[in-house]
Amino acid sequence: MYHNSSQKKYWTFENEAALEKLRQEANQKFRSKALSIRKPGINDSIFLDPREEKVLFKHYEKRLLDLCSIFKPAMPKSVVGTACMYFRRFYLNNSLMEYHPRTIMLTCAYLSCKVDEFNVSSTQFVGNLQENPAAQERALEQILEYELLLIQQLNFHLVVHNPYRPMEGFLIDLKTRYPLLENPEVLRKNAEDFLNRAAMTDAGLLFSPSQIALTAVLNSAARTGLNMETYLTECMGLKDNKETLSKMYDAMRRITILIKEYELPRTDEVNIYKQKLERIHAECAPNTNLKRKHGYEDDDHVVKKPLITEEEWTDEDLDAL
Amino acid sequence: MDQYSILGRIGEGAHGIVFKAKHIETGETVALKKVALRKLEDGIPNQALREIKALQEIEDNQYVVKLKDVFPHGTGFVLVFEYMLSDLSEVIRNSQRPLTESQVKGYMMMLLKGVAFCHENSIMHRDLKPANLLISSTGHLKIADFGLARLFSNEGERLYSHQVATRWYRAPELLYGARKYDEGVDLWAVGCIFGELLNNSPLFPGENDIEQLCCVLRVLGTPNQKVWPEITELPDYNKITFKENPPIPLEEIVPDTSPQAVDLLKKFLVYPSKQRLSARQALLHPYFFTDPLPAHHSELPIPQRGGKHSRQRLQPPFEFSVDRPLHESLVDPSLIQSTFLLSG
Repeated sequence: MYHNSSQKKYWTFENEAALEKLRQEANQKFRSKALSIRKPGINDSIFLDPREEKVLFKHYEKRLLDLCSIFKPAMPKSVVGTACMYFRRFYLNNSLMEYHPRTIMLTCAYLSCKVDEFNVSSTQFVGNLQENPAAQERALEQILEYELLLIQQLNFHLVVHNPYRPMEGFLIDLKTRYPLLENPEVLRKNAEDFLNRAAMTDAGLLFSPSQIALTAVLNSAARTGLNMETYLTECMGLKDNKETLSKMYDAMRRITILIKEYELPRTDEVNIYKQKLERIHAECAPNTNLKRKHGYEDDDHVVKKPLITEEEWTDEDLDAL
Repeated sequence: MDQYSILGRIGEGAHGIVFKAKHIETGETVALKKVALRKLEDGIPNQALREIKALQEIEDNQYVVKLKDVFPHGTGFVLVFEYMLSDLSEVIRNSQRPLTESQVKGYMMMLLKGVAFCHENSIMHRDLKPANLLISSTGHLKIADFGLARLFSNEGERLYSHQVATRWYRAPELLYGARKYDEGVDLWAVGCIFGELLNNSPLFPGENDIEQLCCVLRVLGTPNQKVWPEITELPDYNKITFKENPPIPLEEIVPDTSPQAVDLLKKFLVYPSKQRLSARQALLHPYFFTDPLPAHHSELPIPQRGGKHSRQRLQPPFEFSVDRPLHESLVDPSLIQSTFLLSG
């Protein structure tokens, strides 16, 4: 249930400004940390600013969606939605300069498959990457290395409520209680489209899944030239509840704006920032105490390291008494 | 991790060791379940993810063990649970005499309240058994080990694994390889646990999966399409055939049991999952409203971990009864008098 979910409690924010603030802070935090190493190659000019991070974020988010769409066996929508949400939540508090989005994006998709019980084995998962077997194996190693970091950064809040199910609910409701609309199924295509686009915005961090779903349905209706205001006023019983109704309209307006404003990042920009990102990772990675390797695609030189051996929880812990 | 001091080892789960520990700040005793991530080619085990998922999304409930915290440790992480003294399997094993009817009712009521809560929150536990029903130092029963729990939806499309639940408590549809099932599998397990409490021994102790099915069929009778229409759709239905045999009346399986208890048991142990009595409905069964009434948690036995020093709570000299004159259940005032004087 959404109303007592961790999503509502911890991952739904007041407004866009609150999200921007967190991202700014993450960017700043990384800068100060990197500068504190006092390495000759590291200075203010090499960093990405928050806007540049955002462009790259969109680029990798798109790649994540592309991977999900070609995934075999076909990935259920909720798995895709959850993966996207993980990716978004992760970079709310972390900079792309600290953890490479290529690895995090794969880890998000992998974790989302497991959490949503879409059971694919790890080899099957990396088998979907357009890479040679050696690169796939390296990718897997990195996924497993980052998985724990990811769930930690998600604060162990693993359940994501996606708007796909509420949308089905609204369609059923329309069929049973809104005879004005002859065939609600005509709304499905555009509404689903709307939800897919909403997944690439902050909508999921600002609004409840049912608000997004309702906006998708009404938006789809408007595009077909249907006015469904009476659904809200009559069926939802909001006729005499002006306050709730106007709040709902406001939310729908804001969601629609978020989606309209979305632009795919420009390739030339992406390429410049990518170079910057690679440089930052090359400069900072080996020296930070975070011993993280960068993305697997450039890792040909990295010798395959055995997975870190488990820090045993032994009698020493017991002796600590 | 430095927030806790380890007090000892409680046991070993499927994915690591469980420790008893003290939260230094509050002095509270907790159970730490460590999930290690070594040599796991698929990364963090699904069981651990399920447990976190299920327990983080539900609000506190008195009859479900509370996940207090999760934190990373080394290359794995630690789940922090409230500490529980024992579990129902130890209670059954260690009680010197069979549990009284009122005690069985007390346990069943707590179990059903916990199951009802889970089901109302769309969680099927899938592995209910006495060992997963923990007993607190105050005698409360709480459902634990959500390692197999699943959030269920009523979409009816998703396929689930049938290799769930410990064999003795596994519902017949699972034994026939069903991949689509519902919370009814928990209600079957509730029935099995109920029977075990009444008899002090497991109801269907199969040695292997085939024998398990035999055990169930021997009691409930060979299923046919008339009593269980869905049976023909189950994957393994055509793989095994059993000799026709009629059901044995449950009264013979749980002898010396009140008719209400048998009636309730019958409502859980039916073939079609949809016909099993829901936990919420079961709580309204006359069984819980007839004498002897369910025992208060303070009247339930609390064995120690390990079972050596099984400490039977001081039992009241007789069963409380609504028909008994009130003065008979009063304590002799002179006894209190002397205690009072001593402590004063």
